[in-house]
Amino acid sequence: MAGILIIAEHMDGALRDITGEMIGAATALKDPLGGPLVVAVIGDEDGSLAATANLEGVDEVISIAAPHAHFDAALYEEAACALAEERTPSAILIAHSAAGMAYGPAVAARLGSGFASDVFDVSAESGELNATRGGYGGKVNIELGFAGKGCVTLMLRGATFKAPEAAGSAAITPLSPDFSALAGQSTHLEYQPAPPADVDIAKADFIISVGRAVQDDKNIPTFSALADRLGATFGCSRPVADSGWLPKAHQVGQSGTIASNCKLYIALGISGAVQHLAGMKHVETIIAVNTDANAPMFNVAHYGATVDIFELAEALEKEFN
Amino acid sequence: METRELFWDIGSLSYVLFYAVAWSAIALFLIGFARHFVKYFRARKSPVPLHLRRGFARMVMDIFSHRTVARRDRPAGNAHRSIFYGFAILFIGTSIVTVDYDITGPIFGGSFWNGAFYLAFSLVVDVGGIGLLGGILFMMWRRFRQRPAKLDYVRAYAGEESLRPQARRWIAEDSLFLWALVLIILTGYLQEGVRLVHEQPPWAGWSPVGWLLAEIFSGLGMDPDSAAAVRRANWWIHGVMALTFIAALPWNKAKHMIAVMGSLASRDVNALSRLPRAASEQDDEIGVSTINQFAWKDLLNFDACTKCGRCHEACPARLSGAPLSPRDLILDLRSFAERTQGKVKEGGPQLVGDVIPAETLWSCRSCGACLEICPVGIEHPTMIVQMRRHLVERDEMEKQLRDTFGMIGDRGNSFGESARQRGAWTEALEFSVKDIREEAADNLWFVGDYASFDPRNQTVSQTVARLFQAAGLDFAILRESEHSAGNDVRRAGEEGLFESLVEHNQEAMATAQPFTRLVTTDPHSYNTIRNEYPDFAETAPIKHYSSVLTAMLEDGRLKVTKPLKRRVTLHDPCHLGRLNGNYDEPRRVLELIGCELVEMPRNRDNSFCCGAGGGRIWMPDPPGKEKPAENRMHEAAALGNIDNFVVCCPKDMTMFEDARKTSGHESDFEVMDLAELVAEAIELKSIDLKQLPPLIDRITKAAAKQVADIAAERIADVVAEKVMQRLADNPELARQLAAAPQAEAPQVAAPAPVAALGGPVTAAELPGYEIPPKEGPRILVAVKHVGELGDEFSIADDGLSITAEHFEFALNEWDDAALEQALLLSEQIGSCEVVAVTIGPEEAEETLRKVLAKGAHRAVRVWDDCLAMADPVTVARALAAVATAEEADLILAGVQSSDLAQGATGTATARILGLPHAAVVLEAEWNGGATLTATRELEGGMRHRFELPAPALLTVQTGGNTPRYATMRMIKQAKKKTIDVLDGASVGLEQAGAQLRALTVPVKSGQAEMLQGDAAEVAKAIADIIRKKRGD
Repeated sequence: MAGILIIAEHMDGALRDITGEMIGAATALKDPLGGPLVVAVIGDEDGSLAATANLEGVDEVISIAAPHAHFDAALYEEAACALAEERTPSAILIAHSAAGMAYGPAVAARLGSGFASDVFDVSAESGELNATRGGYGGKVNIELGFAGKGCVTLMLRGATFKAPEAAGSAAITPLSPDFSALAGQSTHLEYQPAPPADVDIAKADFIISVGRAVQDDKNIPTFSALADRLGATFGCSRPVADSGWLPKAHQVGQSGTIASNCKLYIALGISGAVQHLAGMKHVETIIAVNTDANAPMFNVAHYGATVDIFELAEALEKEFN
Repeated sequence: METRELFWDIGSLSYVLFYAVAWSAIALFLIGFARHFVKYFRARKSPVPLHLRRGFARMVMDIFSHRTVARRDRPAGNAHRSIFYGFAILFIGTSIVTVDYDITGPIFGGSFWNGAFYLAFSLVVDVGGIGLLGGILFMMWRRFRQRPAKLDYVRAYAGEESLRPQARRWIAEDSLFLWALVLIILTGYLQEGVRLVHEQPPWAGWSPVGWLLAEIFSGLGMDPDSAAAVRRANWWIHGVMALTFIAALPWNKAKHMIAVMGSLASRDVNALSRLPRAASEQDDEIGVSTINQFAWKDLLNFDACTKCGRCHEACPARLSGAPLSPRDLILDLRSFAERTQGKVKEGGPQLVGDVIPAETLWSCRSCGACLEICPVGIEHPTMIVQMRRHLVERDEMEKQLRDTFGMIGDRGNSFGESARQRGAWTEALEFSVKDIREEAADNLWFVGDYASFDPRNQTVSQTVARLFQAAGLDFAILRESEHSAGNDVRRAGEEGLFESLVEHNQEAMATAQPFTRLVTTDPHSYNTIRNEYPDFAETAPIKHYSSVLTAMLEDGRLKVTKPLKRRVTLHDPCHLGRLNGNYDEPRRVLELIGCELVEMPRNRDNSFCCGAGGGRIWMPDPPGKEKPAENRMHEAAALGNIDNFVVCCPKDMTMFEDARKTSGHESDFEVMDLAELVAEAIELKSIDLKQLPPLIDRITKAAAKQVADIAAERIADVVAEKVMQRLADNPELARQLAAAPQAEAPQVAAPAPVAALGGPVTAAELPGYEIPPKEGPRILVAVKHVGELGDEFSIADDGLSITAEHFEFALNEWDDAALEQALLLSEQIGSCEVVAVTIGPEEAEETLRKVLAKGAHRAVRVWDDCLAMADPVTVARALAAVATAEEADLILAGVQSSDLAQGATGTATARILGLPHAAVVLEAEWNGGATLTATRELEGGMRHRFELPAPALLTVQTGGNTPRYATMRMIKQAKKKTIDVLDGASVGLEQAGAQLRALTVPVKSGQAEMLQGDAAEVAKAIADIIRKKRGD
């Protein structure tokens, strides 16, 4: 029982940031838990993903050939479990993401390993892992232990851990397991591209986002006009997109888009759910406006105000008139 | 002897012909009359008690005084009065002639229609005709020349520019009605004139108009023979026209003459202030969705409408460009009632939706302006609310309203605040406010939502409390036991929720310590508690604070030391004034504190709604249109040099405080509450010296606690430092200590021998329960009763739990989406059964009831206290056991729960069951067969569509559907559905994936620098940051 197994996450032929972040988290655990640090890349068609996953601290990258390139939860589960049984790691790291949620808990249930999801802090003392996750909208930290578990599956929160910058020197092991037993579990039909949108949250350097407090789709034009006037990209939080008031492309956050290049973020009427914070809390300058002075958004913001967002929108219009 | 011959020169054939025409006319009249009656009989009985005897007396008074017709339009009122009395005289005159000729004559022989009586009769009828003619001519001038806006039938408020075909017919009807009357009178006078020329009786002067005409005709050279010729022909013209009028009366606008009597006599004096209760809970239908679900008096109301347009003119919804005119609403309903004759036709246009669009019904502010001014007693808002009940039942409402209902249902207030915060506004006071649950008081102050939670209104509540305290009023509040009074919930159409709020509040008041009366600052709470609560149970009398303050100022408990000498204007709250008649109290207060009151042009019963009523405060107004409150601000500003716009309603404060800014009158006047002015006038000090000792006590206690907290921390540090110092200085002591037996450290679990891997997790074993045989596919939906943690909470001493009192519970949002998906599939498949399962304590049944109300067929609840610490793997084991027992064909669960956001339980369950599964699914397609199609949402909006074999488990993401709303009535009805409760003790935590070590409060990573000031100042600061950032 030693070592750490990381299941890489990738999409559209590129590793997602969370993969590097998991490697970063694992590097810190290598000492107390013991090596090796193994990264498995599933469905790595030309080996380029394995090469990118080869970051400082990684001891081995396993490049697993898959019958198809698209994400398949059953296949990931199968591959992760097979590797775990073979390598007996003391920790398996999986992304807390839409894909991770589709197989991570299944891996834990199948292995009978310890399990925690949405983990934002992990440490190990004398071979025992401790993980911390949030609860109740970030108002409480929940510290978990895994007594009696030789292996623990941890799903890590994105945009939290720091990825190593330097490249590693790990060996790359190609692997072609037999997945034929999974045939018939699910049949891929199609990928439906996100509806075309005129915004690119990932590229935007200035974003004005609205949340639940806009109350109604009738109020959306007021704020989109404001964003236009200020030259900002118009973003929103999950409830706004869920209500169909704005296309999903506008949604900032874990299940939306990470505002990776943003320098200035103005959050209007967004309380600051964990999944939204994950998409923007790294931004250089954050201004939060919310009538609830206790909104978690104020914990990550640099400037805050508790005025009414409608009044503010009007006043800002005037300021930039 | 003085009389005249009725049938002069009419041959026997003509005589018979005339009677044939007359009887036909009467028959047509009766048929038309009967048709209306048959229509009324198809409708329901009145849902509110009608006091018809009292109503009849009031109707007679109203008609003879023309009180209702003359209001706010004196010229039209006088003209109508003249028409009414003229018509009445002519009608009575004609009746006398008929009685004399056709009844008393044939029976008793002879005639009384002669001599002095005849002369007086001639004079009176002649003058009556003048009255009628004069009134009609004025009305023609008004309608065709003056053309007041309220008589325009173009629905400009709904964006229409031209008349609808129906409206053209109305115009034709209006014109025909007036012209018919004019022609009947003119031919009558002509007949009189030519008769007098022909017969030249010495008493001609008793018919002054006829005499004048006769003089003119003679002057123009008419001889008795030609007069006789005209007389012969015109007799038929006049007679047939008059008889046609009678025949046509029930079929056109003239029917109001009769319908008004019924409408006014059946008028409900409490309409709107006390709405009708819904039909019983067992009924399938609630509210009004078909024409025959209206009460007979509603249909009578439709027929009484004369299109006078006063409601149209007064309606704040229409004035702010909302698609509602009370006049057009009633006219559309009338046309529909006429077309259907009160019958419901399959496949025909729907009353709610086609005839009256939903957005029309949602536009109403329940201000009662239409009802107040309607001269014929039509109760528009009552009808609107009853149709809204149907819309709510069908879940056809705006999202914000649905969310607000949900919040009120879950938390008892419309702010979504923790119920425990309801009394928080009292913390800023220098004295403590009694809690009626613990201490008796003379007065129980029912605070209401806005006065409790809205920051601006909280300061008013504090001022009122200080005034009460200064006047020595013994008062208490209910704190978190008070829930929203429900006035606006009821008016928005959620009758079941209203009933449960009433039930809750009455229970809270009944179990409280004794009190003698209720007081409130909120006219909405005041209205419903005063007028509606007594329908449910005995309720203490309630006073609005305006009358309480009046009494205090009058009897000297509050002494004005600084008369304000301000120029103020007053807004009459709809629910205080129009609905309850309290117009004078706020005015009296203003007078007593020395303010000069400049009345608003629209004041008292004509007060103009702020736009918040009827639940509109929970629905956004369309942007770009002037809101009612803004319209009101312009009206106030036009008064000139007003210091204060005075309100005495918390919702008014909110609406007008906003509107003053958005309408550009920020610098013209300030919006102030009545109590705030009183406080200034009596120079109320926020700290009363009498209150000083308890205040000091409170401050001391608070300070002591803070000091203690800080000190404890510091002492611990200091002690630790000292101990370490001593140990460092004295190695021997350290050695001894280390050798001493260690205190038993709490062990969470003995470290078991570490197996390489635990092996697959297995489903729990649960006790059996009775499961009905499957009659089609069965969908199992896992739901969670989730708690939202309030802002102020504390972790229990064990460091592992937070007590339930800190939470507000609700159905998990993601599970709601999963349930909706299950219900949609079930509706498509038809014979499908939806079973909800939860792992939760008894309180979770609240959520299960909601789930059952939305349409789940049954529910299963598993619990044992050991599961309070369950991790997702343990919960999944219990769910897997239920899924196995239920032989579920499809299992749906939310992606995650809003409390702990594990995002794991569903997928873990699928693995334990060995089922195909998919996570973050937006949409599922399934016909109950072997394959189902799922669409997953990926990051950034991309979607992945794929097939899975059934049975399978899907975790459902929000946003793919809009979960339906369960009305409180549906929730109550769901009590009939089964909830199986299973003992979860056997589940155990042995296979748990993790153990809870501790709950801690996160250290705030960084706190934003708060920008101070109002919106404009904040905007300026933000603009600076933006410019700096952009390098401008």
